[in-house]
Amino acid sequence: MAGPSHPDAMAPSRPGPTRTAPPQMPASWWSAPRIRTYLLFDATGLVYLLLGFVALEVVWALGAGPEAWDAMLASLRNPLVVAFHALGLASVIFVGVRFFSFFPKAQPPRIGPMKPPPAPVILGGLYVAWIGLTVLFAAILAGGIF
Amino acid sequence: MKHFLLKIEPVIWLLFGQGLLIGTMLLTGWILIVGLAMPLGLVPVEALSFDRAHALGASLIGRLVLAALIVLPLWKGAHHMRHLSIDFRGADRDVVVAPILYAIALAGSIAGILAVIRL
Repeated sequence: MAGPSHPDAMAPSRPGPTRTAPPQMPASWWSAPRIRTYLLFDATGLVYLLLGFVALEVVWALGAGPEAWDAMLASLRNPLVVAFHALGLASVIFVGVRFFSFFPKAQPPRIGPMKPPPAPVILGGLYVAWIGLTVLFAAILAGGIF
Repeated sequence: MKHFLLKIEPVIWLLFGQGLLIGTMLLTGWILIVGLAMPLGLVPVEALSFDRAHALGASLIGRLVLAALIVLPLWKGAHHMRHLSIDFRGADRDVVVAPILYAIALAGSIAGILAVIRL
């Protein structure tokens, strides 16, 4: 990805008296560790979009009757679909860990008369909710409860 | 189109944020069982038999959870892919890319709500 970046990327609000060269992006801009993690976070968008459509197919099959449902279960056993879901699990965990780490930083200085709770409390609450909901949902789906 | 995209940004951001938060929390358990444990034979067959799956999914809470599971990740995905496109020097093509991605998410959302209603 070498070459000029967007011409307005670094433009000052008013043109100054000094002539400036157009901004150049370094060829390796995407490989800086922080930017790579950021781009990877964005790239999980494709996985989420596909996961949403797989869930749509599964629910659609459930509404279409027992034969369609059994065919859907068989297609979920396809090794490629299982591999995609393994990638999906890795993406979801990556997104959760990264997104939840933003929460303490994104708090307002005060909420009404109160200060937001300290970072470990916010993070702890999010992880308890995430793990709790996952255990509950997985137990229901796996036939453990209900 | 640029003006329209800016105008709908708050709604997109709400769906995007809930896709990140609720989508991630729901998808984890869903993928673990439906995507991995069931295909690998780690779950009893009766757990996801048609009768049980339909009874769970067609309940009120079941329908709400399934709708959220389908709709919210679509918007998280569409919005993040739009930003990936912008990052790879796509600021100029954004007026085309963003409406296509949001249209895909919208179509999937409508289909998802229909899929949940017809359960």
